Amino acid sequence: MRKVSSKNICWLNSELPLLEKADVLTGDAAKRIKTYYEKETVPLSGAGWAVTVFSIIGALLIGGGIILLFAHNWDGLSRNARAVISFLPLLLGAALSFTALLCSGKTALRESAGLFHALAIGGCIALIGQTYHLPSDMPAFLLSWALLCVPLMFLLSSTGTCIVYLALITGWTGVAQNEYRQAVGYWPLLLPALIYIYRLLKKDARSPATLLALYGLLFSITISLGIVFERTVPGLWTMAYAALLTGSYLLGITHYRDETGWSNPFKLFGTVGIALLAYLFTWTHFWDEIGWNYCRTDWGYERWGIWTDSAITLALIGGWAVIAVKAFKKNSGETTILSLFPILATVCFLTGSLTDLAEVINALIFNSYFLALGILYIVLGCRSLRLRQMNGGMFLLSLLIVTRFFDDEFGFLARGISFIILGAAFLTANLIIARKKKEVSA
Amino acid sequence: MKKTLLLIFGITVALQLLIPASMILKHEKVMRDGSLYRFKTHPIDPADPFQGRYVWLGFENDYIIAPTNAVEPAYNERVYVTLDTDPDGLCKLTGWSRNKPEHGDYLKLKYWGEKYNWNAKDKSQRHLGLQFKLPFDRFYMDESKAPNAERLVRSVTLNLFEENTNLVTNCWANVKILNGTGLIEDVLVDGTSIRDFIAQSEK
Repeated sequence: MRKVSSKNICWLNSELPLLEKADVLTGDAAKRIKTYYEKETVPLSGAGWAVTVFSIIGALLIGGGIILLFAHNWDGLSRNARAVISFLPLLLGAALSFTALLCSGKTALRESAGLFHALAIGGCIALIGQTYHLPSDMPAFLLSWALLCVPLMFLLSSTGTCIVYLALITGWTGVAQNEYRQAVGYWPLLLPALIYIYRLLKKDARSPATLLALYGLLFSITISLGIVFERTVPGLWTMAYAALLTGSYLLGITHYRDETGWSNPFKLFGTVGIALLAYLFTWTHFWDEIGWNYCRTDWGYERWGIWTDSAITLALIGGWAVIAVKAFKKNSGETTILSLFPILATVCFLTGSLTDLAEVINALIFNSYFLALGILYIVLGCRSLRLRQMNGGMFLLSLLIVTRFFDDEFGFLARGISFIILGAAFLTANLIIARKKKEVSA
Repeated sequence: MKKTLLLIFGITVALQLLIPASMILKHEKVMRDGSLYRFKTHPIDPADPFQGRYVWLGFENDYIIAPTNAVEPAYNERVYVTLDTDPDGLCKLTGWSRNKPEHGDYLKLKYWGEKYNWNAKDKSQRHLGLQFKLPFDRFYMDESKAPNAERLVRSVTLNLFEENTNLVTNCWANVKILNGTGLIEDVLVDGTSIRDFIAQSEK
């Protein structure tokens, strides 16, 4: 059943008598419209979001507070007293989860119980470590904590626990890379969260819980991808990130077609990510010594990184290609330009592998791409009269212009000529549009 | 359906309780039955977001005396290291092996490479032997006391220098060792527990 905002339904109900009075609608038509919205739609209110978000924040604060209280390290307590106390939050969390499970609790109870229980697991292990002055083994600590959260996520259908799990495995990736010099274990660890989110998507792809879990997933993958990458082949990551962010954008426009802004996590994440990364790629030093010719072989890099990094990049490019084929059929300018991102990243990577001029060529390619992005959003904003979109485009364009004006990587002469050509192009375009407008109105 | 869910939940909670409980039992056994060794140390105060404030312990005798051409384990390899006590009653590392020692106390430690001592006087370095990472390097304390601990211990113990520029401390950690695991029982300054030492100084 279609979801319509309860605010819109209220507005419609107040408008129908007025339209009927003004003879725009017949009484019968007004009645049929009202009945349609009553029977065929369900009201969508912000309360769902509020309940989920507030219960998550509440449990997060209480759980975090308990961990901090323990971290104070009460000197007066004996070792035995500490051992008993360390179990208390865990037992309380288990009791809360049990109640939620037994009473088939509503969202607020399930979320707060799951999140509190998940935090209590970490608090308990941390307090025992403190009691016995155990050496810090952060990867083992985070991994045991994360794995003990997995059943809770599924049993309580708790999105908060899923987000804690994602945060823990992301944290594990960082410390494991530091400790063991590799963290490829992140990918199998991601599986439980993927299964949980897949189930949420099947149930209701637009519910607040699903959207929050998707944000958690996207953040986790984006952060961890860079950490897991061995970087044995410099620059391979540019293709992987380009494919990941563009894939996210394409998923947003194919699977959440009618949703915009926060309600479309894939599109929002993809668009912001592409703009950010494309901007970074406009700098020449990003393209310094990239490609197969600069493979790193010193002790800080593992040789097998060539294979794992290439496999991850190929998988992401493959995923992007599958979604892109579907999206290209839409024949939309925005989709086409944004979908080009991984192709450009691949071209730039190959340029780095084949020529010595990669720095300048690649920076020029991405300066042009970023310029195209800015112009695209200004044009789209003007066409659809969406001020936010137009301002977004203006922001991208201004950022590029200001950065390049002060960028001494390019010579004064090159910058001067480019600025004049660009300025002339803008003025000509403006003149042509104004003339066309005049012709149309005449 | 609900019965199955409750059963899985029961197993989950049992597992969640079992892991910390086994940690407690294992470490209680070390504290009860372990042999006591003293490790000369100098504390520094850092913090952990989950476990609170602690004094980080840097150890002097974290190496086996060996010549430069001695056979050494691979970097970061975990090996068995045998222990003994020197005439001052302090623990020293005596040898390493990949097989568990049949007699005496030992620790399972990570190899950290060769250890050198820098002599500031004649600007030269002296090879000491093979260095290992002693894992019991954290002594958790009350958050208000840990920073004081470092300051006080430094002012009392780290003001002496031997001729060869080795830092001389009269601060050591009492460590209980059993089956390759070492746990800190207490840290002592001039023979007084660091907690009592701080309490006395605060009076």
